[in-house]
Amino acid sequence: MSSNECIRWQGNLACLRIDGVMVKSRHTIEGTHVFGPDSDHTTLAVSGLSLLSDECTIQSVCIDGNIEESVLLACGYSIDEGAEWTISCGDEACVSISKGAIQKGRVDGFEINEVFHSQISDAWTAELSAVSQGAFVSEQAYLSGSSARMNFASQKLDDSLIWPPREMIGNNRPEEAMPLRASGIIESWTKLSAGGAPSEFSLRAPILEGISTVFVRLIDGPCGVFLIVDDEDELPSIGGKVGFAIRRLYAQNGMIRYGLKAIIS
Amino acid sequence: MVDVAVVGAGQTKYGNHPLGLKGMWAEAAETAYSSIDGDFEPSQVDEAFIGSVAFGGAQLGNTAALLTEHSGLDNIPVRRVENACASSGFAFRDAWMAIKSGQADIVVAGGIEKMNDLSPERKRFWLGVSGDTEWERLAGLTFPGTYALMARRHFHEYGSNHDDLVHISVKNHMHGLDNEYAHLRKDVSFEKAQSGFMVADPLTLYDCCPTSDGASCVILAADHVAKKLTDDPIWVLGSGAGSDYLALHDRPSITQIKATQLASTKAYSQAGITATDVDLAEVHDCFTIAELLATEDLGFADRGQGGVFARNGMGRLNEGDVTINPSGGLKSKGHPLGATGTGQIVEVFKQLRGEVEQSRQVRDAEIALTHNVGGSGATCAVNIFGRGGK
Repeated sequence: MSSNECIRWQGNLACLRIDGVMVKSRHTIEGTHVFGPDSDHTTLAVSGLSLLSDECTIQSVCIDGNIEESVLLACGYSIDEGAEWTISCGDEACVSISKGAIQKGRVDGFEINEVFHSQISDAWTAELSAVSQGAFVSEQAYLSGSSARMNFASQKLDDSLIWPPREMIGNNRPEEAMPLRASGIIESWTKLSAGGAPSEFSLRAPILEGISTVFVRLIDGPCGVFLIVDDEDELPSIGGKVGFAIRRLYAQNGMIRYGLKAIIS
Repeated sequence: MVDVAVVGAGQTKYGNHPLGLKGMWAEAAETAYSSIDGDFEPSQVDEAFIGSVAFGGAQLGNTAALLTEHSGLDNIPVRRVENACASSGFAFRDAWMAIKSGQADIVVAGGIEKMNDLSPERKRFWLGVSGDTEWERLAGLTFPGTYALMARRHFHEYGSNHDDLVHISVKNHMHGLDNEYAHLRKDVSFEKAQSGFMVADPLTLYDCCPTSDGASCVILAADHVAKKLTDDPIWVLGSGAGSDYLALHDRPSITQIKATQLASTKAYSQAGITATDVDLAEVHDCFTIAELLATEDLGFADRGQGGVFARNGMGRLNEGDVTINPSGGLKSKGHPLGATGTGQIVEVFKQLRGEVEQSRQVRDAEIALTHNVGGSGATCAVNIFGRGGK
């Protein structure tokens, strides 16, 4: 592909080339690519890796300090300084995943409201320094469930696939199984007003004018509840198809929590 | 086996209560003690079970010990019972079982919650602690969202609609209008409820119960003691409880609550009755869709017909076979989480004795049911009461 043949991929702009991929946020301010309301270098990187996985097998990558290592590990990649593939973060909202030279090029994005972008960025900064007010998803709990949360790592018992993971079913412990396919059908949905959203979302929900959640039956059988990506333009509908992408969920106690969010297909 | 009766019951007004935990509990307990016709001293009580989520964390540990020492219940075994919004429905069941087992003759079951002395953000944090934290809360869900998902799916599967929920809201506000203990005593028109502020699409403000302060207290006694304490005991005909997967995504259906079905089946069986025998029911309408689902799960309406039941006004006071939420329900009376279950029992105790305001008295009430749900349906307690023993 040439740089003029970039595609929309998981809500981003991706340019697939012979020796790698360049992924840019689709959002721009005066032509400069900026992150969307729930994206960053890490989400662009895993998006690019998932696109490349259709073309080749990547087991390990070399990353720079802008990428959250735990997300890549949860998605099944190991981190190795001598790896064949290198993920490089650009100054703009852009990553290159390459076996050779850094992938560069111009691609047209879509202008995002500058005030909105600034408010969301400030909210993320404030949210990172927020302290939990009691019971919450601890770092340990978040990390222990991350391969299921970010890679659909599943279990099986007899012929049944299980997701999210369970400890025991009856008197049996389910076995680990292959990740589920990241596609499903909406069985129900809601849009929560800022006042109806959990406290973890209290800074960003008013700016986003609410957050949307879908109840999805995955094509492999299990059901799950997912946020819709923050920059989705379409309203969900029952029976509609969704795909998934890793995005920021929320931040707390200095740590950004990532997870799969639904994208309306 | 020994039969069990409710011999006394009392509660605080629900709403923004000026008193703290100790003061509210003492008021509820004192009211319950004074409702007993015969000679009664708190020192006669053998055990106490207090339902509370301990919302806000003000007294998270040893809640029951603190409260009971302020109501004359000294040096007896006490404990907090926690099952989210069903805490005191289960506290009552535990008290009932304590007497049934022969280990106690007189037991206090109660509940309490103080919810309105927190900042909005802290309140929102506590409102979300009873779902599946890791898989639902991370997906942005609190209970308005969870019940909104159930509502929209019910609309899709059975052709119900938001106007059906509006009928429930209007009915419960109408019932609660004359209830001196109710949090929201106001007449709400159909048009007003229809056009409420959207909280979690399709649920509006008028589909959601308020967050309330309140306490409730019920005194149970074994049959041989009950008759000495009152000439008008209300007998516990049946008590059932059930549970289900905590998260919606693990349930085979999100348009029915299995825990309610299990609990009511057990309770009806013990009481030797069916849904058609029930004259009034206090059901857990934390959201209007929850009442719609309960009318189906409790057997008052056929599967999928809860919307039609509401639309036709079949739960209105003295209009259909059963009156649903004559107190105003959680929607109007209020929902101080841990106090709600025993608060429902206070209502049916008075209804069956003909002691509520005449404007909301269920005529010729003989059998009443309470239905108390934890969270989005992970736990449920159903208790059935009658004027006569079994």
